[in-house]
Amino acid sequence: MNRISSGITDVGLKREGNEDAFSADDELGLYVVADGMGGHLAGEVASRVAVDLLGKTYRAWKDAEPGHDHLFGRVDHSLSTEGNYILSGIRLANRVIYEMARSKEEYEGMGTTVAALAVSEDLIIAANVGDSRIYLIRNEGLERLSRDHTIVAEQVEMGVMTEEEADASPMKHILTRNLGSAEDVDAEVFEIEPANGDRFLLFSDGITDLISDEEILAMAIEEESPDALCRNFVNKALKRGGHDNATVICLSLRGMVRPQAGIFTKMGGVLADIFINTNKFFKKFTP
Amino acid sequence: MARLILMFNKQVVKEFPFVKDNMTIGRKPENDIPIDNLAVSGFHARIDKMGSEFILTDLQSTNGTFVNDEKVTSHKLKHGDNIMIGKHVILFVASEQERAAGKETSAADLDQTMMLDTAKQRELLSKQKAPVQEVQRPEKIGVLTFIDGSDLGEVELTKKLTRIGKAENAEVRLSGLFMGATAATISKRPSGYTISYTGGMAKLKVNGQVVKESIPLKDFDTVEIGSYKFQFYQKEVKPS
Repeated sequence: MNRISSGITDVGLKREGNEDAFSADDELGLYVVADGMGGHLAGEVASRVAVDLLGKTYRAWKDAEPGHDHLFGRVDHSLSTEGNYILSGIRLANRVIYEMARSKEEYEGMGTTVAALAVSEDLIIAANVGDSRIYLIRNEGLERLSRDHTIVAEQVEMGVMTEEEADASPMKHILTRNLGSAEDVDAEVFEIEPANGDRFLLFSDGITDLISDEEILAMAIEEESPDALCRNFVNKALKRGGHDNATVICLSLRGMVRPQAGIFTKMGGVLADIFINTNKFFKKFTP
Repeated sequence: MARLILMFNKQVVKEFPFVKDNMTIGRKPENDIPIDNLAVSGFHARIDKMGSEFILTDLQSTNGTFVNDEKVTSHKLKHGDNIMIGKHVILFVASEQERAAGKETSAADLDQTMMLDTAKQRELLSKQKAPVQEVQRPEKIGVLTFIDGSDLGEVELTKKLTRIGKAENAEVRLSGLFMGATAATISKRPSGYTISYTGGMAKLKVNGQVVKESIPLKDFDTVEIGSYKFQFYQKEVKPS
């Protein structure tokens, strides 16, 4: 399987510094976007710590003996081993940022969102905390693989607010969860089976605030190349005011071959099945 | 360059210069600072270099990590900190520059507006009528009820991704001549449960219609895979 990705972060037109951070590692198959917050340089620090720690822990745990011994926090049995690595890495990053924020006055109130996508031959893991998003494009359809942790998104889910009201709400940017503000954090983690031709997009809210889901899909269908597509998203956000830092990662999966058994192994399998089944059959009727 | 000095019974065992981005401490020989002692976990703690700072993190060790007699999960190291792991002590020695840098960074002005000011968030939250922070949303879990006469009965979808097929790693194992290793998968996504055809000669049908890709599952949808047949529904479970 080939993973072809591209990523850009842009400071935008209104902000002085860029508090977003990202990493796109095709070799490891890990893609992370983080949107930091906090005064002075704290936002930059928080997002960088989240991106770096997630990459380091994922690599280290993948290379270590398989198992859950070295995980941070309780094992989530609804997830695969790798899913637990991502979950654990996010928990660890949260704790580190939380402790840093408490240890230094200028880091007070520091936090970050995180959206992480891990891609291997047989599994896609999408995890997030906050409002940075992950999208899947499959068969020309767009699907969110992340869940926004904002007051308005939760109210939409509960049916208290409509999507339109949510978009117009002044509280659109108030997060209910982030990394750094509490000792422990719950990340949203989803796992799906990959398919050939799958494309993934990761965004900070500097993009998704200004470009709708429908536009995202239309733009992605129009432009195949991850490089050019990333550039198009950022340019569009800048054209529309660029009020915030904007970050995007585009990833395409190509040349995925399912481990297809050859014709002889297939026939062998069929013969074996017949053999086993006839044996069962005879057993039933032999006294 | 910062250094870590490993000591046992007040004797220096070995000195480790901090040359990488991070160093791990533990019982296993793969660690940068291996400590061959049963009180030490395989991978016990790690120190990450973040710019001019060094962050010590306990890797959920059995016996804990202590700095200057205080138990820590994560701790920013200062020059002269004593890290205690089991009966071993690791002394953290910062370089001259790092010691100087640590002193300078105390005077900083908070100039930028924060996107998420925790005080502001609390204020806004208090104005909200609906309790938003701790809503106990009942969690829903998918259940498959086999109605093909097989002895599978009811299967709860406890995983985010459930593989259905002949393969050994399949959560729901089905047999049959034409059954794919992984014939179909059901994943729990932000939008709900989705079933996808993944391979094999056994057809996937939902409510009688052949599915070649993915479709969302609704309560009481009937799914057929080869000769197997089950109904899907969701039941509410208490959040854990």
